[in-house]
Amino acid sequence: MTTERAILDHRLLVVTGKGGTGKTTVVAALAQAAAGRGRRVLVVETGRDEAVPRLLAPGSPPVGYEGREVQPGLTCMRVDPYAALSEYIGLQFGARVVADTVLRNRAFRQLMDAAPGWRELITLGKIWHLEQAERAPGDPRWDLLLVDAPATGHGITFLDVPRVVVSAVRAGPLRRHAGWVESMVRDPDATLLLPVALAEELPARETAELVARLREQVGIAVDRVVVNALTPPPLPDAVPDLVERLERLRPDAELGGLPAPPVLAACLRHACARAELNRHYLGEIQRSTGLPAIALPELPGGIAGPADLEPLGRLLLQEPAS
Amino acid sequence: MKPPRPEALLESRRILVCVGAGGVGKTTVSAALALEAARRGRRALVLTIDPARRLADALGLATLGGEPQEIARERLTSLGVPADGALFALMLDVKGTLDGLVERFAESEAARRRILENRIYAHVSDALAGSAEYSAMEKVYEISTREDFDLVVVDTPPSQHALDFLESPRRLLEFIDSRLVKLLLHPAFSAGRFGFRLFQRGAMRALQLLERVSGLGFLEDVSEFLLAFEGMAEGFRERARRVETLLLGPEAAFVLTAGAAGQSIHQGRALLARLEASGIPLSGVVMNRVRLWPGGGGPPDAVPPAGGEREAREALAAALAKSAQPGFPVGPAADAAIEAARRHAEVVRRQAGACEDLREHVARRGLFWRVVPELASDVHDLPALARIADLLFREPATEEPAP
Repeated sequence: MTTERAILDHRLLVVTGKGGTGKTTVVAALAQAAAGRGRRVLVVETGRDEAVPRLLAPGSPPVGYEGREVQPGLTCMRVDPYAALSEYIGLQFGARVVADTVLRNRAFRQLMDAAPGWRELITLGKIWHLEQAERAPGDPRWDLLLVDAPATGHGITFLDVPRVVVSAVRAGPLRRHAGWVESMVRDPDATLLLPVALAEELPARETAELVARLREQVGIAVDRVVVNALTPPPLPDAVPDLVERLERLRPDAELGGLPAPPVLAACLRHACARAELNRHYLGEIQRSTGLPAIALPELPGGIAGPADLEPLGRLLLQEPAS
Repeated sequence: MKPPRPEALLESRRILVCVGAGGVGKTTVSAALALEAARRGRRALVLTIDPARRLADALGLATLGGEPQEIARERLTSLGVPADGALFALMLDVKGTLDGLVERFAESEAARRRILENRIYAHVSDALAGSAEYSAMEKVYEISTREDFDLVVVDTPPSQHALDFLESPRRLLEFIDSRLVKLLLHPAFSAGRFGFRLFQRGAMRALQLLERVSGLGFLEDVSEFLLAFEGMAEGFRERARRVETLLLGPEAAFVLTAGAAGQSIHQGRALLARLEASGIPLSGVVMNRVRLWPGGGGPPDAVPPAGGEREAREALAAALAKSAQPGFPVGPAADAAIEAARRHAEVVRRQAGACEDLREHVARRGLFWRVVPELASDVHDLPALARIADLLFREPATEEPAP
């Protein structure tokens, strides 16, 4: 499954993971780093929220379906399934007006609101279309497409829909187009799935399940796992018993304006426990998936803007040691 | 009117719907709420709709079937559940639930087989997004009609899908009543003389278009699928209406679980706004895994104090040196302790800042607000769940705002 290709040699990176793992941060950091290396980057968001532009260009207006360049060489867009459907029907029949008339039809909207699966398919179809787009023959419009895919459970459904359609629909354009999308998803030279995990028990287990199901069911290439928000080991090797030493200090000792010794001890104990937990499950993730990990540190101050993404982007571009 | 405290919800309601973005620990909170209800002497069931088997993990159960599983009595007793309380867990089996629905409502054996063997149904029922929401709705209803449980805690699919679940009864009704579905059901009729007058031209055009896009045969399959379902439509409609009445009625309550980290707080706020816009009555918010400052209160403005970094380091090093044997690296030890406190304070401040908006909003609405502190270890067994319940109900880190 290891493709031996550097991360930026792919055309399409699909980022997924359990909710709250920092998927969006990884997308933003990677996009910024790739654009910094001269790649023409397009970030595609699949949710209702525009979270990536919020990190890359805080306070800027919405990017919408048409997309907008938020940093030099870095464009963000959000795929709204209805907009994509309208575009698709327009392309199929050469008239967007027809498409919009149909889509405005109340009965049609009701049918589509209730119908499952098509949102995923049309979103992937739009991504396929963007991947095919060229500025001139042989010169792709985008060097790299970065997809902020739905979280784990729905992420699998998302990527699996083309396969399902190909097997459920007998013939016709729908089946043909779903087949194209399926080929894109399964092309290991073009497409790489990047799972983002936290080094805690439930996310670690879920990542193992995710990777297994993606390999067996969807057939998408996965060659590394991003493990986010790791607490660094707080203790130098020489002072393993520092928590106990702090606890033995007089609780009201005046330490030049520092918090009292019991507070210092509690902070350190918490950090040690988190670091140990992270260390353990980082190993678990690598063992259970058989994949190398890219470790990203926890940023205590959070991410306020592009500058905070820089160090993460550098780490994400490094090829993992297997 | 002031909404009830969470304790009162656990003791009086029949359904508690937990909504929240993915990864905030909603499954854990749902399970802890059910456990607390059991401790209060109720027969409580936690139902998870999440495609990942998180609840099974959290409850330490190896497998969860489509039927409620009771947590062993002796394990509950040690967690403080009295004899009249009980805890059950159920993981939604999407395909099984939909199949069960077909079994129940199909008019005849032939109709039943036609549906179960239809190509579209086979794929819709187990593979496509959205079917989980329909079957979840169905399961909630089925369980609510039984007398087995005093309280059902529903753990909904994450964020965007949480509201899909809530809206699915209404969407289902609209779908059944939609003109296009009727058109698909009776193609011959609609193509006839009366049909064109009865149905909008737009709807007809939409159908023709669908046929051209999807290719010959697809709509035929869809039509056959819907036709097979037609006999079930009335049953469906009745169910969907009852579920909506149930979820929005006085026996149900909604609780939002939110996280303070990263994007979670944005998602929490967005979800709250959407709940309010949809007219869904929210009772309160559980802020999960919030980092707190040891000993209560807030952290100092700066650790170490701004301008006094060197003095602070020297003071701590000197204090450590008093009890240390010669050669103990007091300098690096002091640095490590200060760095850990600095990082801890930074996280506490950032999270408190991120929560402020949401907290003020919740206070203005008079909703309850409970905080579960971030624990240093994972919650993956029953004693840890009991610990979460303790933190929520026995030693809450924050009380709800005064009435």
